[in-house]
Amino acid sequence: MTHDQTQKREESMGSEARRRSRERLRQQREKDQRAAARKRGLTVALIAVGVVALVVGVGYVILNLDSSGADYDGGLAPQTLQADGSVVMAEPGAQAPVVEVYADYQCPACRQFELLNGDLLQEKAALGEAIVQFRPVSIFARQPEPISGNSLRAGAAARAAADHGVFVQYNDLLFENQPTEGSEGFTPQQLKELFAETDAPEGAAAGFDERVDAEAETVDRFTGEFLPALTADAVEEFGQDEVAAMPLTDLLDWGADNGHDPSFLEGTYTGETIEATGNAYTRYSGENAFRATPSVYINGELLDNTTTMTVRGLRGAIDDAAPGEVETEPLTDGGGTD
Amino acid sequence: MCHSGRAFVRRESRNHPVIPLPEGHTMMDTGDTPAEDLHEDTPTPSRWETVQPWLTLACRVGLAAVLILAAVTKYPPAMSVQAVEAYDLFPADIARLIGYTLPLFELALALLLLAGLATRYVGAASALLMLVFIAGIVSAMARGLNIDCGCFGGGGQVAPEDTRYGLDIARDIAFMAMGAFIALWPRSPFALDRVLGVFR
Repeated sequence: MTHDQTQKREESMGSEARRRSRERLRQQREKDQRAAARKRGLTVALIAVGVVALVVGVGYVILNLDSSGADYDGGLAPQTLQADGSVVMAEPGAQAPVVEVYADYQCPACRQFELLNGDLLQEKAALGEAIVQFRPVSIFARQPEPISGNSLRAGAAARAAADHGVFVQYNDLLFENQPTEGSEGFTPQQLKELFAETDAPEGAAAGFDERVDAEAETVDRFTGEFLPALTADAVEEFGQDEVAAMPLTDLLDWGADNGHDPSFLEGTYTGETIEATGNAYTRYSGENAFRATPSVYINGELLDNTTTMTVRGLRGAIDDAAPGEVETEPLTDGGGTD
Repeated sequence: MCHSGRAFVRRESRNHPVIPLPEGHTMMDTGDTPAEDLHEDTPTPSRWETVQPWLTLACRVGLAAVLILAAVTKYPPAMSVQAVEAYDLFPADIARLIGYTLPLFELALALLLLAGLATRYVGAASALLMLVFIAGIVSAMARGLNIDCGCFGGGGQVAPEDTRYGLDIARDIAFMAMGAFIALWPRSPFALDRVLGVFR
């Protein structure tokens, strides 16, 4: 081998080594870049998680400010049963806005309203800053069982509780124990147990229990036989859509003239609840029309959802309203009031 | 709609078809590059490469709009709680927590989508959220409940003939597809990710 050849081979080996070294460096650089990219990706993801935590956390605190400190455990203003079965809770001679609350005991939104703003209403009434009128209704009376039955039995039981001066307390208890929609609840047994939790006078339970049993029978007859038969006949006469759009009280009136005697509802609290519901639909018109529950009116003006379903909204609306007049008359024929 | 304690889900981004761009060309400026300036070694981007970032941007904005609408219409939270309770899946305390925080979570996802931050992960989280919603609706349907999904406010019991489960599910599938698209192809213009050097 000549000197020249040796040198050439050394040179070529050298360039091979350099090439490999360059390749290693390139791979290392790419690896570093990939690692840096991963790190950047992770950092960005962590920032995003932080943003989510911040928005949810801060938002949650802000949303909860609305109902914080709104609990009221003080005494209740006197309750006065009205001739139409509604109950007025107000200090005697209070000059304050009239807050009317329409609610169905089976309606979950009503439960939310009660949980959120029930205390505010009690406080405002006790301070003489509001005249609160509870107007239980049954917008679910035409729904399939068990929704209709639950709704009507509870409405009737609340009316029976009013006979013993414990409507407001019982109203709270009913909402706290509202059955899930679509499941059997507010059984006579449960309704009696809830009444036992109130401050009703000694000996009131017997009368209440008897009433609840009687109402349960009326409700069974109404939802089980009477209404399905009446509805079937009416659908034959008017068609499905028109009957569905017909207020229940109108349907009952038509039935009375067409072989469906509703007299078994007379004098029952079930019938009274149905009638109160029908009257709610006809009492208001236009923007104030009664469409759903809960509906809250101040001096006859319907509040919007946001006002009704926030403590701040309802408190502000009551504070801003002028004094009003209750339009119903107290029940005079011996209904137990205090 | 109304559940999901499902929190933010991170996924490693291995097997995704991320199409590399020619060096020095972002999608933003290729559209404006005159053809004669292109050198031989910078191939003209395919139509997909040109269109995809704008599709992703459209999905980001569209999905963010949907999420903001969904969050805002759930106010006030008392109504949102009621919508969650109607699913009859959670105890009252959990339903309350979900009712309060779900709209906030939707809002946070919307903000991140608009900002284009952690686009891939937010797209995946949104798609997962939609999947959870779909599962909730299917479960309500299967149990014979008659409820409004409460997706955009409302919620609670409705008459049996007024349920719209099919429509709600179809709509949520469309939203889920948008989220999945974002997760698969996160690269898009007007994104903080670009500034921060990810998903270029």
